[in-house]
This record gives sequence, C-alpha cells and structure tokens, in this order.
Amino acid sequence: MIKYILKRLGLTVLILLGVSLIIYVLIRLMPVDFIEKKIAEMNQGGATIDQATIDNMKSMYGLTDDTFLGVLKGYWSWLTKLVQFDFGTSFKYGVPVIDVIKDSMGVSFAVALIATIFEFLIAIPLGITAATHQYSIRDYVVTVLVMIGISLPSFFFGQVLKDLFAMKLGWFPNSGLTDATKDLTGFAKLIDYVWHMFVPILTVVILSIGGRMRMTRTEMLEVMNSDYIRTARAKGLSERKVIYKHAFRNTLIPLVTSLAGLLPSLFSGAIITEQIFDLPGIGNLAFQAMDAGDIPFIMGYNMFLALLSVMGVLLADLMYAVVDPRVKLTD
Amino acid sequence: MENLENKNEVIVEENQVLPTEEVEQNVSEIKQADDSIEKNVRLMSPGRMVMRRFFRSKLSIVGLVMLISLFLFCFLGPVCYTSWESNEIDYSDRVEYATTEIKDADGNVLFTQVIETVKRPNSFAKPSLEHPLGTDGQGWDNLARLMEGGKVSLAISFITVFIVTILGIIFGGLAGYFGGVIDNIIMRICDILMCLPGFPILLVVGTLLESMGVASQFRIYYLMGFLSLISWPGVARLVRGQILSLREQEYMVAAEAMGYSTARKIFKHLIPNVMPQLIVNMTLSLGSMILYEASLSFLGLGATAEFAAWGTMINQANDLNVLQNYFNVWGPPGICIVIAVLGFNFIGDGLRDALDPKARR
Repeated sequence: MIKYILKRLGLTVLILLGVSLIIYVLIRLMPVDFIEKKIAEMNQGGATIDQATIDNMKSMYGLTDDTFLGVLKGYWSWLTKLVQFDFGTSFKYGVPVIDVIKDSMGVSFAVALIATIFEFLIAIPLGITAATHQYSIRDYVVTVLVMIGISLPSFFFGQVLKDLFAMKLGWFPNSGLTDATKDLTGFAKLIDYVWHMFVPILTVVILSIGGRMRMTRTEMLEVMNSDYIRTARAKGLSERKVIYKHAFRNTLIPLVTSLAGLLPSLFSGAIITEQIFDLPGIGNLAFQAMDAGDIPFIMGYNMFLALLSVMGVLLADLMYAVVDPRVKLTD
Repeated sequence: MENLENKNEVIVEENQVLPTEEVEQNVSEIKQADDSIEKNVRLMSPGRMVMRRFFRSKLSIVGLVMLISLFLFCFLGPVCYTSWESNEIDYSDRVEYATTEIKDADGNVLFTQVIETVKRPNSFAKPSLEHPLGTDGQGWDNLARLMEGGKVSLAISFITVFIVTILGIIFGGLAGYFGGVIDNIIMRICDILMCLPGFPILLVVGTLLESMGVASQFRIYYLMGFLSLISWPGVARLVRGQILSLREQEYMVAAEAMGYSTARKIFKHLIPNVMPQLIVNMTLSLGSMILYEASLSFLGLGATAEFAAWGTMINQANDLNVLQNYFNVWGPPGICIVIAVLGFNFIGDGLRDALDPKARR
C-alpha cells in the first residue's frame, strides 16, 4: 500500500512536469511584443504595472533569451519558483497570483459545494427508481429528462434561468454576489449571499444531475442482476430491504469513488456559469485575466488546476481501495 | 408480437466479426448436417441484428429524426433561404442624403446643402415575413445566421471527432499491442494530457492565436484542432483496454500462427472488434464537441460576431436588454444546440444498447 502510494506520488510529479512543460511552451510561443502591448493596454485601462514588475516577469519566464538554451533556462527558473509556490504577481489584479486564487476561491467553492450536495441528494434517489422500474414509464421519463439535462449547454440554460427568475419573475438578482445598495452585516449578509447564489447553483445542479443519475442507474442495474440479490430475494426479504440494504450499498462504491474525484472540481470554479451571473469566483477572474493577457495569472491558474486534477485522480484511486475491500492496491 | 414471431426460430448470432466466407461456410455445414433445420433457423448477420435492435428503440429513432432535420436545415436551408446572407446587414432604413444647391440670384452655386437622414440598420426587427426570426442588434438576419452557424458547428465537430478517434486508435493500438516500454510511454503521455485543464488551456491557446495574428474566422478551427490533439487519450485508453483482452483470444493465436504482419493483425483483426465501442464513443463525443465549440464561441474565442456561430449568437444575451426582450435572437441557437446534442446522445445510447453483444432483447 505504502509502496503503491509512493509510486503514484512519483508519477504525479512526472505528470505535473509534463503539464508545466506544455503550458510553458504555449506561453513561450507568444511574441514578447504582444505581451508588452497587452501590458500597455492594461496600464491605459487604469492598472499600474511598473517597469520593475515587467522586468521581474520577463526574467522569471526567461522571455529575454530566445535561444534554445535560453528557453530551457527560463523553464527551469519558472519551475524553481513554482515549487516554492511563487506564481509571480498578477498584472491585472496587482497582487500575488496565489492571493488572487485564495481570495476568489471561496465563492466558487460555496457554489460548487452546495450544488454537489443537492446533485447527490436528487440524482441518487432518481437513479434508483429508474433502475428498479427499468423500462417502465418512470424510467423513460427520468431518462429523457436526464438526457435533456446533459445536452443543455450551460451558457444557454444559465441565460434562460436568469431571464426567467431574475428578469421576468424578478425573484432573484440577475448578477453579482452582494447588493451594493445595502450595507448588510452578519446573518443578513449571509442571506444576501445565498439569495444571489441561488440561480447559479440551480443552473449547476440541473446540469449535473443527469450524469450522476445515469451513473447511479447503470450501477444499480448491474448490482440488481448479481447473485446475492437473487439470494436476498430467495430468503424472502422485503423488496425495500433488498434494494436499500443489499443493492444500494454496493452501488455506493463507485459513487463514493467519484466523489473523491470530484473534490478538486469544488475549488476550480465554473468559468461560464460565473461569467453569466457575474460572480467574483475564480473561474470568472481567470477568464478576465486571460482576456487581458495576464500571463502570471494564466500560468498560475493552469498549474493550480493541473495540480487539482492530478490529486483528484490519485484520491479516487485510493478511495476505491478504501471503500471496496476486494480491491487491493498493487503495482 | 415480436415474441410470437420468434417462438419457433433460433437466432444464430455471431459476436465476433467473421469474414463472410467463414459465415457462409458455417451455413453450408449446418445445411449439410440437417436439412430440416433450414426451416427453423433464421440466419441474421451481425449488422442486421444491430440495425433491428437499434430501430426497435423509440429514442434512437427520435434522435435520428432530430439530427436529419437539423442537417437538412443547416445544409439545405441556405440553398432555399437566399434573401439574406449571414453577414449581410439589413439597411432597409439606410442613410439617406438629400442635397439641395443653394444659389444666388445669378444662378451661381453658393454651396450645397446636404441633409443627412441617419437611419440605423434595421436592428432587433420582430419576426416577420421578411425576417422569419427577426434580426439581431447589428441588423443581421437571425435565420441566415442560425443556418450558417450550424453548418460550421456540425462540420467542425465531425472533423474533430474524426481526428480524435484516428489518433486514439493509433496510439491505443500501439500501446495495447506492443505493451512494455511503448505502452508505458504512451500511457504516461495520456496521463499528462488528461490532467491538462481543458477549458483554460483553450483560453490560453485562444490568446496565443490572437498574438500570432490568426484571422478571427479561422481561430475556431485551430482551437478545435488543438482540442483534438489533447483529447485522444480517452479513445486510446478504450482501444488499449479492448486490445489487451482481445490479444489473448484464440483467433489472435491463429493469426499469429498464420504469420500475418503486425499491421494486418492490428488493423484487420483487432481494431474491427473494438469498432462497436468506438462508434458509440464517437457518437456521444460528437455531442460534447458541439457543446465545446459553442462554449468557445460564446466566450468570444472563436470568430468575431461578423462570422455567425451559435455560441456568439447566444453571447448577445449577456446584454440584459437582449436577454429580457429579444428571445428570438438568443433562443433559437440554444434550441438548435440542444437538438444537436440530444440527437447525438439518443443515437449513441441506442447504438450502445444495439451493439452490446450481451443484450438479447
């Protein structure tokens, strides 16, 4: 087990190296004068990026030297800064990249966490009924609804919900996280946050239920066909007990595993949803930064995401062994 | 009904894809063995079995109808609906100049007075006979743009899925067949590519394309090309897994004994057996590619507004005025995307059930 984890960690380092190399090459392909032009644009737009920051950035990425050796050197210097968690200073926001990520992660995390909880609460019972009543009308209705959920593009569905709830009905605010006209504190502020986040969360929940439900249904169907379910029925157990005590518990294995894999996505932010509802989450900030050509932030954000997804894969694999005693981790 | 029909028949089904000669040989053997069995056995080719199972599911027929009508709309539509080009601005109330020459008593022209009547393009026109879906903020005809955008969207997603599948087959096939060091290297590359953050990386590539001065209407092609370069690992893993298990089958030992070349073994004997899963995978990823393309153009990474795309059309709803009052601008492209993705998903699901050799319905 320990040996396996160590080996996996080694692999993780390798993967991160590969990812960083690809991201670095992409950034290096940009002409330097383009970056300078973008910086000038940002300065015109009100940002204050002094020459020292620019020089600092240039030396950090080795942008001054275009020979092969220079590129290698640049990559190395960037990498050594990276392992010290120094992502540089964001041009657009004027503070270290890691602080921007830290500050904006809260909103994204709140939205993703609440959405994930509701997703599981709604999708699992629906998946179970669809599986236990396979080929019934209930199954078909649920399946079609799920398919529609999978097929809806987030940017379109988000707009529809915004139009309906915020504009037509006027129940919820159309964008932002707080009401700027009011000065709220304490509990009232929290309520205001929730009120603002309701429609974005609803969007995410409806769009993600489909996949989860389909997964539950497939797993449940597979379990329901296994021998021990037949045995349980033969013992004369009530159908309720068969489903919830014998079948559902075994369906939980892949669900819990996928939960571990989902953990990183809680922190990564939803670019499109946050953009539509103008939430100050990490996804929205990243999009704006990329639009403005904020190189340090782009690099930092991408590496942050890569780190998260590597961790997700690792966690899911380990979780699999924890949840299912039949799985033994060997190399 | 179906059960009654099949009551006295035995359906002979071949799970592996066998050459037709072999099947025919089997048939003749059966015929020789027992003549009377001919009346009771109905032989069905695997292809026909799949077709039959596919068309038995209502959802797959619905999906097929949806897609066919969408294709007709996008590719035949522009042929029939020619009154507006997708990037032709309706200046039905164009700027008009009225010139009057002011003369003195002798008839000499003192100066020319120009009265300019500035009328904006016919923007946000309500749906009418002239513009069946109205016009958008720029005075572009929505219906024409819808067709043009669909054409690009569908074509791009097909190309992308095709490239992804080819790359996946090549790398997955090599990894699965040779194993060892090659397998290890390819799988590590897969690991790396799978951990690349998809969307943000595309945003970076979008900026990169901008910096290199790629014309905006071609950017989406480059972006989707890049997407296909980083998204083959899924297919490669599928192919590799299948080949690893197929490699141990007897017919592969037979192929080995026959002394076939490696290429023949991989592409003639292994890949055709992975095809069913691949086809399902391709159909389902067609839907997700359409979503990807639309999301990219929604974020403004693709072409500028002048070149129609479904995503760009929906992007106009970011303006609250458009969102609230002009559903005819941003609604239809959204519905088209849903129809396309839903259609591909329905067909993919139907194919999955139909191609599954374990299912005997």
